[in-house]
Amino acid sequence: MSDEYENKTGYQAQSSETISSGSGGGSRTASDIDYVRPAEVTDQDLYHGHSFITKWVFCQDAKVIGVQYFLLATFTGVIGLILSWLMRLQLGFPGAAGFMTAEHYYQFVTMHGMIMVVYFLTALFLGGFGNYLIPLMVGARDMVFPYLNMVSFWSFFVAVGVLLASFFVPGGPTGAGWTLYPPQTILEGTPGSGWGILLMCISLILFVAGFTMGGLNYLITVLQARTRGMTLMRMPLTVWGIFTATVLAMLAFPALLVGALMMTLDNVLGTSFFMPTIIQAGEILEYSGGSPILFQHLFWFFGHPEVYIVALPAFGIVSDLISVHSRKNIFGYRMMVWAIVGIGGLSFFVWAHHMYVSGMNPWFGFFFATTTLIIAIPTAMKVYNWIITLWRGNIRLNVVMLWCLGFIVTFVNGGITGIFLGNVSVDVPLSDTYFVVAHFHMVMGIAPLMVIMGAVYHWFPLVAGRFLNETLGKWHFWLTFLGAYSIYFPMHYLGFIGVPRRYFEMYDSPYMTSAVGMNEFISMAAFIVGAAQFILIFNIIKTLKTGKPAGSNPWKANSLEWLTPSVPPEHGNWGDKLPVVHRWPYDFNVPGAKEDFITQTTPPSDVVGTEVEKT
Amino acid sequence: MSKLLNKLFGALLDKPWESEQAAIDNAHEGKTFNLSVQKSAVFIVFGIATVLFSLVFTSYLYTLPPDQDTKYLLRPNLLWINTLILFFVTYFFNKVTNDLEKKDTSKVKKNLLIIGGLTYLFLFGQTFFWFQLLKSGNYVSTNSYFANFYVFTALHGLHLFGGLFFWGIVSSRVLKLEQNKILEQKKNISALSIYWTYLLIVWLMFFLMIYIFNDSFIAWCKSLIS
Repeated sequence: MSDEYENKTGYQAQSSETISSGSGGGSRTASDIDYVRPAEVTDQDLYHGHSFITKWVFCQDAKVIGVQYFLLATFTGVIGLILSWLMRLQLGFPGAAGFMTAEHYYQFVTMHGMIMVVYFLTALFLGGFGNYLIPLMVGARDMVFPYLNMVSFWSFFVAVGVLLASFFVPGGPTGAGWTLYPPQTILEGTPGSGWGILLMCISLILFVAGFTMGGLNYLITVLQARTRGMTLMRMPLTVWGIFTATVLAMLAFPALLVGALMMTLDNVLGTSFFMPTIIQAGEILEYSGGSPILFQHLFWFFGHPEVYIVALPAFGIVSDLISVHSRKNIFGYRMMVWAIVGIGGLSFFVWAHHMYVSGMNPWFGFFFATTTLIIAIPTAMKVYNWIITLWRGNIRLNVVMLWCLGFIVTFVNGGITGIFLGNVSVDVPLSDTYFVVAHFHMVMGIAPLMVIMGAVYHWFPLVAGRFLNETLGKWHFWLTFLGAYSIYFPMHYLGFIGVPRRYFEMYDSPYMTSAVGMNEFISMAAFIVGAAQFILIFNIIKTLKTGKPAGSNPWKANSLEWLTPSVPPEHGNWGDKLPVVHRWPYDFNVPGAKEDFITQTTPPSDVVGTEVEKT
Repeated sequence: MSKLLNKLFGALLDKPWESEQAAIDNAHEGKTFNLSVQKSAVFIVFGIATVLFSLVFTSYLYTLPPDQDTKYLLRPNLLWINTLILFFVTYFFNKVTNDLEKKDTSKVKKNLLIIGGLTYLFLFGQTFFWFQLLKSGNYVSTNSYFANFYVFTALHGLHLFGGLFFWGIVSSRVLKLEQNKILEQKKNISALSIYWTYLLIVWLMFFLMIYIFNDSFIAWCKSLIS
């Protein structure tokens, strides 16, 4: 280990010279004030792969698994992006894609939605960032069950394979909309009502099973495998976000699993969980007694927490990025943690705001509107805290910060339209219009995507040891940011004038005259924004070959992931000894300190005389 | 319970940036609960499985109309014997964990084999009962009562199969060990024991539910509000 490393991590035996503690208490030795309890937990035995297959394919290192998740989720995300291009081509320029039928359009809408929400965003935040960052940030050598973690990724891999296979089966993928509402989903006339929906359900079941294995790892690693000195309240907010989102996922995904399982039984074995007595093409089917509304309840019991499964890791990550790049401690750390936990809890009591037009009891609408509006309180607290963190900070206006600022603005935009839609009386006329499409794309599409991008630019130097190119990054940001607003701002207007979503074309409706030009504009913007994402891929390839070396802790951050003996970190993360944590990760610009950051492993004797303001 | 809540939420009141708190935090070992990772995993699986089975129960209550004959499963049948077998499994697990607490490893191997055998017998019994149901014309598509029964028993059986997978791993290790080293597997065996007890409770809940929330009960509820 180098001297520089030992200084930063505090691995070196402490000096025993007598010093005066800044917080009073008279003279004590450095070894007194740096004292930490000896390790009581035995070190983890890790499996080290020796061949290419065990090192990079069936690998048990959480970092490699994180990168695998990231790459596969990005691959499915690109497919989702291409599907959105095809949809926008049809909407902006009907008939321009000669092969596109109404059935194709519905299938693309469905697959785009499911891919982006579950197989891209969820997998990327929890599988990608979760695997890479949790063990590093809490000071563990790896996840607690590395083998199970590997199986988790390969279950995800098979789930994606099954999902994409549905493009090649008779009838193609399901075209029932990403919400998969029965009875429509499994009735003839709906695209993919045979094989398509069957493969979708199987894929979702595999995804949930795989995620459960990964989720177990995330939770137990955070709760039980932190290093010495790393209390829950010393964890970076990134870990809090991913941890709480995983709890949500573990409690919400069973609803998706039950829904998918029962739907498959209705489809294949003729049960009637969700199928009422129904006539199809003049013929009474053998179903009876099932409830389509039950499926809606199950789906949204998963579906709404799913929004926060995506949002909470984004909240956590953006908090850390803002703090590091504005050189200030995060404002209201405790409140930020409470808000994450509070939002997570409340997210299980709002699901039926997606069902205001389902015909449920109006009192339910009243209840769910109230809970929905209550959830705006902790969410708004977070927004205020991000802004106050930035206030009078030493802001580095780099690409990471640009993405963070873009996120805050976009999240506020999407959040405010959410308050519109949370109210029953406003939601009913806006239901199934482009206003809803604009709202959820802003709040859970573009906003989390901006955090992902910020996180990629921030942590790429850790993963690859090189900085991504800033100029390319700025092009990437501005094209995405301005382009996204060009797409979704006009969509709110389309919704206000009543243009319905999920329509293949508008035919001779009155919307044609007022919406046609806007649809063309939105489509052009969508093509540009989509293409702009390939700047990042180019940037990554270019950087891997010729990027500027980043070295150790290039952003001068405090959290543990930057304090590994080698960059990129090796399997086992910490060399011979696990790190010992002496402080929280937000000690930036502490009065009395020589530098503007104090890493979590810096022992008190190294920063005598510094004192954080009491609150 | 209050201890658990305090562990979970009490820490949220800490102010980690203050030097007094830092002195306390520096002595922290890193674990939240004094549990092995195996036991922690089992408790988290309980949480997930409880949501899963609760949703199946909810679906049962949501879709059960009062005009379905729900007496069939409650007549004397194989289910009662299967339930008894599951009780025996839990009894033997309890015996093993008690022996391990007392550091008596003489009967652990034998009892672990009995546990596996009885669990397979339970699963065989459940499958046999399925065949009896099919033979009597009660298919999964017959009505929502039987559909829910098949789904529940399948999910419960799958959970037991999952448990048997880990039982297989632990048992094969234990069988290879000398008597004095069996105690090394205490954490794993204890985690399995808790898991089996949980699955017994879930099964009893289900049995109780189909016993109480049957067509007569639903008809009685309707009579109250009509």
